[in-house]
Amino acid sequence: MTVLSRRTVTRTVERSARLWEASPLTYITLIFAIVLSAFPLYWMLVIASRTNQDVGSIPPPLVLGQHLFENIGRVFGNQNAHFAKALVNSAIASSVVAISVVFFSSLAGFAFAKLRFRGRNALLLIIVATMMVPVQMGIIPLYMLMVKIHWTGQLQAVIVPFLVTGFGVFMMRQYAEQAIPDELIEAARVDGASTFRIFWSVVFPALRPAAAVLALFQFMQTWNEFMWNFAVLTPDNPTVQYALAQLNGTYYADYSMVFSGTAIATVPLLVVFIVFGRQIIGGIMEGAIKA
Amino acid sequence: MTLDLQTAARPKPAPARPPRGAWRNRLDAKASPYLYISPFYLLFLAFGLFPLGYTFWVSLHHWDILGNNHYTGLRNYQLLLTDPDFWNAVTNTVAMFVIATVPQLLGAMFLANALNRKLRAQTLFRMGVLAPMVTSVAAVGIVFSQLFGRDYGLINWLLHFAGVHNIDWQAHQWSQWTAISTMVDWRWTGYNTLIFLAGMQAIPRDLYEAAAIDGASRRVQFWRITVPSLRPTIIFTSIVSTIGGLQLFTEPLMFNQNLMQGGSLRQGQTVAMYMYESAFQRFQYGYGSAVAWMLFLLIIIIALINYLITRRLAGGRI
Amino acid sequence: MRDPLRRATTIAVAASLVGVLALAGACASDSKKTSTAASTITLSVDDFGSFGYDALYKQYEAAHPNIKIVERNIATLSTYTPQLQQHIAAGAGAGDIVAIEEGIAVKFMAQPDKFVDLNQYGGAALQNNFLPWKWTQGHSADGSKLIGLGTDVGGLAMCYRKDLFAKAGLPTDRAAVGALWPTWDAYLKIGQQFKSKVPGNGFVDGATNLYNTILMQTAGQGQNYTYFDKSNNLVVDTNPAIKTAFDETVKMSQAGLSSKLQSFTDAWATGFKKGQFATIACPAWMLGLIQTDAGDAAAGKWDVASLPGGGGSWGGSFLAVPTQSQHPKEAAALAEFLSNPQGQIAAFKAKNNLPSSPEALSDPAVTGFQNTYFSNAPVGQIYASGATSLKPVYLGSLNQEVRTVVENDLLAIDTGQLTPAAGWTKAIADAKRAAATG
Repeated sequence: MTVLSRRTVTRTVERSARLWEASPLTYITLIFAIVLSAFPLYWMLVIASRTNQDVGSIPPPLVLGQHLFENIGRVFGNQNAHFAKALVNSAIASSVVAISVVFFSSLAGFAFAKLRFRGRNALLLIIVATMMVPVQMGIIPLYMLMVKIHWTGQLQAVIVPFLVTGFGVFMMRQYAEQAIPDELIEAARVDGASTFRIFWSVVFPALRPAAAVLALFQFMQTWNEFMWNFAVLTPDNPTVQYALAQLNGTYYADYSMVFSGTAIATVPLLVVFIVFGRQIIGGIMEGAIKA
Repeated sequence: MTLDLQTAARPKPAPARPPRGAWRNRLDAKASPYLYISPFYLLFLAFGLFPLGYTFWVSLHHWDILGNNHYTGLRNYQLLLTDPDFWNAVTNTVAMFVIATVPQLLGAMFLANALNRKLRAQTLFRMGVLAPMVTSVAAVGIVFSQLFGRDYGLINWLLHFAGVHNIDWQAHQWSQWTAISTMVDWRWTGYNTLIFLAGMQAIPRDLYEAAAIDGASRRVQFWRITVPSLRPTIIFTSIVSTIGGLQLFTEPLMFNQNLMQGGSLRQGQTVAMYMYESAFQRFQYGYGSAVAWMLFLLIIIIALINYLITRRLAGGRI
Repeated sequence: MRDPLRRATTIAVAASLVGVLALAGACASDSKKTSTAASTITLSVDDFGSFGYDALYKQYEAAHPNIKIVERNIATLSTYTPQLQQHIAAGAGAGDIVAIEEGIAVKFMAQPDKFVDLNQYGGAALQNNFLPWKWTQGHSADGSKLIGLGTDVGGLAMCYRKDLFAKAGLPTDRAAVGALWPTWDAYLKIGQQFKSKVPGNGFVDGATNLYNTILMQTAGQGQNYTYFDKSNNLVVDTNPAIKTAFDETVKMSQAGLSSKLQSFTDAWATGFKKGQFATIACPAWMLGLIQTDAGDAAAGKWDVASLPGGGGSWGGSFLAVPTQSQHPKEAAALAEFLSNPQGQIAAFKAKNNLPSSPEALSDPAVTGFQNTYFSNAPVGQIYASGATSLKPVYLGSLNQEVRTVVENDLLAIDTGQLTPAAGWTKAIADAKRAAATG
C-alpha cells in the first residue's frame, strides 16, 4: 500500500514538473517572435546606415552599411529639420510631465488610499471614469484655448495639459493601498508630523517602485505624443514625432536620412528600456493583475 | 474596471485619526486630502472636461477658423450621418480595429502561454517581445511604409517568391487595412503578452496538475483552464485595445505620406484623421467637433459590444 | 531589485530637474529675445517645394550680421496650405515671410488684414520688378494693398530620359524629341511606341503632373480659368479645359503608359533614382526637384524638350509678410531682396525657378543658362522665351481644395481603383462638395 502510493506521488511530482518544462518548440516559437520584434528595428538601422542609392535596390539591403554616422550628421546638420531642438524639446516635455505626474499622482493616490474624507469614493469613481475619455476628443477647443492664451507653437502647450493623469492617480492609489501599512502613518501622526511631512518622508519613499514605473511610462507616452503636438506646435519648434513627420514629408527623396531620424528618435527610448526593462516588465505585469 | 470600483468601495481599515491640538492640525487633517487631490481635478477641469463639454457646444454650431459662429442645433450631426466620407472613416477604423485586435490578442495569448513555462533567459525573452512598444510611433509608420513599398519594398520582394507580384499596398482598402494592422500588432502584441502572462501566473497551478492527472493534453488545458481563467484579463485588454485602436491616427498618417485623406480614395482614413482633416485642414470646427463626439460614441459602443462578446466567448458571468 | 529602482528614481528626478531648468532657461531666453531684439533678429521663411534661396540667405546674413534666417520648408503644397492657413488665422505660428503659391493666392489675398501692406515699406517702387499680371496678382482684391511680391512663374516643358529613349530606338536630341510630339495625341503614340520596346519602364511618372500641366496649358490658351470662373463660380463640369486634361490623362493611363507613382512621395523619388519612367511634364520649378530626387547618379541622363501642344505656365509664387510677424520691417526688406531681379536670377541658377521679373528674364545669366545636370539643356532659353507673353490663369480661392480631390480621383483611376467614367462622375461630385464645404 505505502509503496504504491509513494510511487504515485513521485510520478505526480515528476509529471507536474514536466508540465511546466519548455519544449524545444516553445523556444523556437519564442525565438521566432523575437526575430519578428527585432527585425524592423534592425532594418531601420540598415537603411539608416546605407546610401540613398541602396534604398531602392532589389533584393532589399539586409546588412548594415557604413554611412550611419554620416547620415546622422546630416539629420542634425539639416537646418530645416530642427532635429536637435526636437530632441531637447521632447526630453524636456517628457521629463517634466513624468515628474509632475508622479508627484501629483502620488499625492492624490496617497490621499485616496490612506486619508479619510467626505466624498472620497465618488471622487475616485470620477477619476476612473476619466480614464475612459479619449484625449483626442477635446483637441479642437483645446487648440482654440491655446490660441487665446498665445500658447500655440510654445512647448508648454504640450506639457501643461498633461501634468497629471487619471491613470497615474489610480495606479498610485492601488499601490499605496497595499504597500503602506496604516500603522506607519499612525505612528508618524503620533509623533506630530503634518500630513505633508508624512507624505514626503514616510509615504513617498515607500511608493518609489511604483513611482519609477509610472515615470517611465509617462516619459514614453509623452515622447510618443503626436496628434496634439502636430496641431499646436510649429515646424521650427517641434517635438520628436513632429520632426519625424516633417522629415518624412519633406525629405522623401533622402530616405537614409529619414531613417537615421527614426533611429535617433527611437534610441533614447530603447536605452531607457534596456536599462529599466526588468522594472517596466514588472510594472506592466503588476498593473495587469490589479486592474 | 468593475473590479476597481469594488476595491474602491471597500471600507477602509484604520482611518487616519486627526491628532488633537491646535486648529492648524485640524485644518491639516480636514483640508489636506482635498488639497492633494485637487491638482488632478483642476487640470482635468481645464484641459479635459472643459474641452469635452466645449467640443459638444462647438459641434452645435457652424464655427469657422476665425471664430465666427452661429448656432445650428444638430445639423452637423445630421450632415455627418449622410456623409459618405465619415462612414468610410468609420468602416476603416472598425475594420482595422478588428483586423488588428483579434490576431493581436490571440497571438499575445499564445506567446504568453509559451512564456509561462520554465525558461532559460526568461527576462531576455520578455524584453524581446516588448521591445516594439518602445519604438517611436512615427518611426514605426515610416519604417513599415518602406517595408510595404510597391516596387522596392521588402515584403513585396518576399511575396514574389510566392508568385505574388508588386502589391500596391497604398492603393487598395484591404491592403491598407492589412499593412496598418500589421504595424499596430507589431507594436502592441508584446505588451498584451505580458498582461496575459501576468494573468496566467495568477492561475493556481494545481488546476493544471489535476487536469494532467486526468489525462488532459496541453491544448485541452489551455482551452479549458487557461482561457476561462483569463476572462477578466481578456476583457481588460480588449477594452484597452478598443480605446487605443479606435483612436488610430499616426500610423495611417505616416503610411500615407502625411496625407490626412489617407489615400486617394480615403482607403486608410480613420475617424481621428477625418476629425483632424475637418477641423485643422478644412477649418470646420463645428463639423470636426461633431466627428469627435461620434468617435467618443463609437468607442463606447464598441467597448460595450466587446464586453458582451468576450463575456459570451469566455463563457460566463463577470 | 531595490538598487536599480532607487537609481531609476534618482535618474528620473535628476532628469526632470534638468528639464525644468532647461524650460526655465528656454523661457528666459525667449523673453530675452524680445527685449534685446535689436542685437539679433531671427526671420523665419515658410515655403514648400524648393525655392532655391540657400545662397541668397547666406549672402543676406553676411550683409546683415544682425539677421539670422531660418527656412521652414514643407514638401507638398497640400500639406503646406492648411498649416499656413491655420497659423494665419490663429495669429501665431506663421513665418515672418510666407510663400504663397498662385493656386492659393486668391484665398490669402482675400484676407488683406492678415498681411502687411508692403507699400508701407516702399513696395510701390518695385512695380517694374515684375511682369504686369504678376504684380497685379500680388495685390488685395480691391488693388489697394500690396500683399505679395512675385517670385517665379511656371513655364512648361517636357523632361525626358535620354538613355531610355535610346533604348526604345527614339531620337535623343532635344529638338528632334520636341518634334516628335506637336500634340498630346502624338505624345501618346510615342508613348505606346516606347512601351512596346521597353515594357519594363513607364512612359509617364503618374497621373497628376500630366493632368495639371495639360489643364494649365489648355486653360491658358482658352478662357484663362480652371475650376472657378472669374466670378468664383465652380465650373468643373462645364469648363472644357478640365475635361480635356482629364481625358488625355486617363488615355495615357489606360494605355498602360503610367508608372502609377504619386508626386512628392518617396516612391516617386525612388522612381527618379531608378529611372522607372521616361518622361515627366516639368514646369521650370520642377527641374530642381528632379535633380534632388534623382540624385547625382542620374546626372546627364535627363534632358528638356518642348511641351506637346505649345507653351503655358503652371505654378509660381509670391512672398508675403503676415501681420503677426514681430519684425515686419526686416521681413519686408528680406522679401524684397529675395524677389528683386538679382534674387530671382540667383533662384533660377539654383533651382531653375523661372523669374517673374522682365529684367531677370532678359538677363544673359538667365537666357544663356545651360543646366549641366540636364545634359547642358539651354533651360534659360527654353523656359524664358515664352514667359513674357504668358497670360495669367485665374485660380479661385478654393482652387487648392478642389484640385486635391480631382487629383485623388485621377490617382484612383490610374491605380485601377475606379473606372474612368466613375472617376469623372466622382471627381465632379467631390469637387462640388469641396467647393461647398471648403
